[in-house]
Amino acid sequence: MTVQTERPPSGPVDVAKTTPGRSGGGRPATGKRPGALVPYLLLLPACAATVLLLGWPLLKDVLLSFQNLNMAQLIQHVTEWNGVENYRQVLTGEDFWRVTLRSILFTAVNVVLIMVAGTLIGLLLARLGKRMRITLMMGLVLAWAMPVVAASTVYQWLFAQRFGVVNWVLDKLGWHSMADYSWTSSQMSTFFVVTLLIVWMSIPFVAINLYAATTTIPSELYEAASLDGAGVWKSFTTVTMPFLRPFLYATTFLEVIWVFKAFVQVFTINGGGPDRLTEILPVYAYIEGVGNQHYGMGAAIAVLTILILLGLTAYYLRIVLKQEEDEL
Amino acid sequence: MKRRLISAIGVAGMMISLAACGGDNGDGDGKAGADGYAGQTLTVWVMDGSSPDQWQKDVAAAFEKKTKAKVKFQIQQWNGIQQKLTTALSEENPPDVFEIGNTQTPAYAKTGGLADLADLKSEIGGEWTASLNESSIFEGKQYAAPWYFANRVVLYNKKVWADAGIKDTPKTRDEFYADLKQIGEKTDAEPIYLPGQNWYHFVGLTIGEGVQLVKEQDGKYVSNLADPKVAAAMETYKKFQALSKAPKDKDEATPQQGEVFGKGNVGAFIGMGWEAGIAIKANPKIEKEIGYFTIPGATADKPEGVFLGGSNLAVAAGSKKQELAKEFLKIALSDTYEGELAKLNGVIPNKEALQSNLKGNEVAEAAAPAAAGGGTTPLIPEWAAVENAPNPVKTYMTAVLNGKSPAAAAKQVEDEFNKRLAQQQ
Repeated sequence: MTVQTERPPSGPVDVAKTTPGRSGGGRPATGKRPGALVPYLLLLPACAATVLLLGWPLLKDVLLSFQNLNMAQLIQHVTEWNGVENYRQVLTGEDFWRVTLRSILFTAVNVVLIMVAGTLIGLLLARLGKRMRITLMMGLVLAWAMPVVAASTVYQWLFAQRFGVVNWVLDKLGWHSMADYSWTSSQMSTFFVVTLLIVWMSIPFVAINLYAATTTIPSELYEAASLDGAGVWKSFTTVTMPFLRPFLYATTFLEVIWVFKAFVQVFTINGGGPDRLTEILPVYAYIEGVGNQHYGMGAAIAVLTILILLGLTAYYLRIVLKQEEDEL
Repeated sequence: MKRRLISAIGVAGMMISLAACGGDNGDGDGKAGADGYAGQTLTVWVMDGSSPDQWQKDVAAAFEKKTKAKVKFQIQQWNGIQQKLTTALSEENPPDVFEIGNTQTPAYAKTGGLADLADLKSEIGGEWTASLNESSIFEGKQYAAPWYFANRVVLYNKKVWADAGIKDTPKTRDEFYADLKQIGEKTDAEPIYLPGQNWYHFVGLTIGEGVQLVKEQDGKYVSNLADPKVAAAMETYKKFQALSKAPKDKDEATPQQGEVFGKGNVGAFIGMGWEAGIAIKANPKIEKEIGYFTIPGATADKPEGVFLGGSNLAVAAGSKKQELAKEFLKIALSDTYEGELAKLNGVIPNKEALQSNLKGNEVAEAAAPAAAGGGTTPLIPEWAAVENAPNPVKTYMTAVLNGKSPAAAAKQVEDEFNKRLAQQQ
């Protein structure tokens, strides 16, 4: 740890410094070999696609966020710059902060559920016999492969008030007050359906990833541990966990990103309702921007959303980069 | 290396959280030709259910005969139409002619997206009913042409009503309620399907009470939901809604109330005459059971207030086929085809003289008595923003139906309502 604190805090700089030393080995640093350009050429398509498909919209979004752009301006193609007015309005209104807090809590609850359930299923996969494992894997992959809108629609049908299977089953099981229960009528019940949907769709990725990680653990380590007198729990914490940790970090990091921007699920299930109580940041940006035809305002919210997401994930990013440092 | 890859994936994943949108298409055609308009195609947006296939076919044939050009009808859904229309109008090739709701017309007239139709008005619009043309005029200019108007009626299942032992259709609100109650007691059908957010019916009830949803205050429009007359209208709605098992937080289109009615186990619903077609499509056997009557008002001499829904036809200012578009309007709005539409759909045509087409039409005869006392939401450009989802009026309705007092519900949505009315344009 002491070594680390002496280093400059920024990871990427460090990586840039150390990479040539590691991969280059003994070759001269001048790099005049004919193949020296090849890596850059190979990177080019990916970079070009990123710039074109992400960089350009991002730039447009930032530009829009400084404009007063509504129905009239859009239709007549006029550009009305209004400085930081959109940001001022968003940041001084209490709506934005309420939605931000809601988004963070929503993400936290979902990610915890996904990681716990996903990890358990991943470990289960590792212990199952071949036939059961393949069956479970198939189930996971199918859930994973389901398009989001299709899955949301199925959930809408499942939880429909009058003709939904869930209410029917609950009624048949004797819980008669649920026969006509409207799942979209309150904030918590809507979030319940959305969370169930998101967790269900996200578990396969975590489970399969974790299962893959367990296959990299050499079985000799378990033998050695048991010779040393380690019980089940001990060998889990001392042998399994250290191997899984980097995967857990990476998947948690990804899940935070994915859940935070879970626009489709939230929007299709109940449109951010009832009474705008289940709007998370991307839905809020859409409703204020596209829905209300207040495009500049929506763009400002989107930019702020990106900044918040960067802030939330900075911690994970740092851990991942640090691990890399430790490895070098 | 592996971990660097993981972190790279992470960063990429984060970047993908940005939404990308856009899209344009540009094929430039559309010169007002010397040799007629041969080879050109006019794109016309019509709303779902508003014009029957037969009408489209006949108009297209007449149009092609006169101009040598083709017309392509594209059916649009009401839900989310404003966003779609705004985007379409901003593009290089907007739909040339499109149907637009009367309450939405002023806002679009203000945006500059609609072409000025002054010459069309003087050519064919001399007899347009003035009250129906009101929404097309913005700041003294004619931005659209009135097309058709319609108001809601009660559609009922004759078999269910007969099973309950009811012989005649009700003439007052209390009779209507008593009949529905009787259906509930004597049959196992749902007396009425009335979802919590059929806000057009609610607007009708407020019109019946003689009150508007917005009022002017210090030169600005603000919410008028707190008015006791609005509360009275909502109480009426609530009383009838209590007889229905329909969701309190959904509107009449989710699910389509016509489809629910089509199952045959619903006594009645409040809807547009053409929604019978949805029921028949879902269950052809229901056709002979469907009857219509005017929504009864508080007293027998005055039917319930109704929302006078209507549509105008407008030409996109950005269309490159202005002349051709006007040719289309001249045909579509001619006595022949305006009359045909009235006849087929049972809607009120844009001229008094064409009303003879409605004779013998069950829907129109049920709708007509209420039309005189009908009204609209305020015809101001600020209104369109209120209708964007989530519509605060719908929120208000659900809140009251879920047990809030009308005053408390009005207070709850007031900020949102006022914010939309004051929205920068």
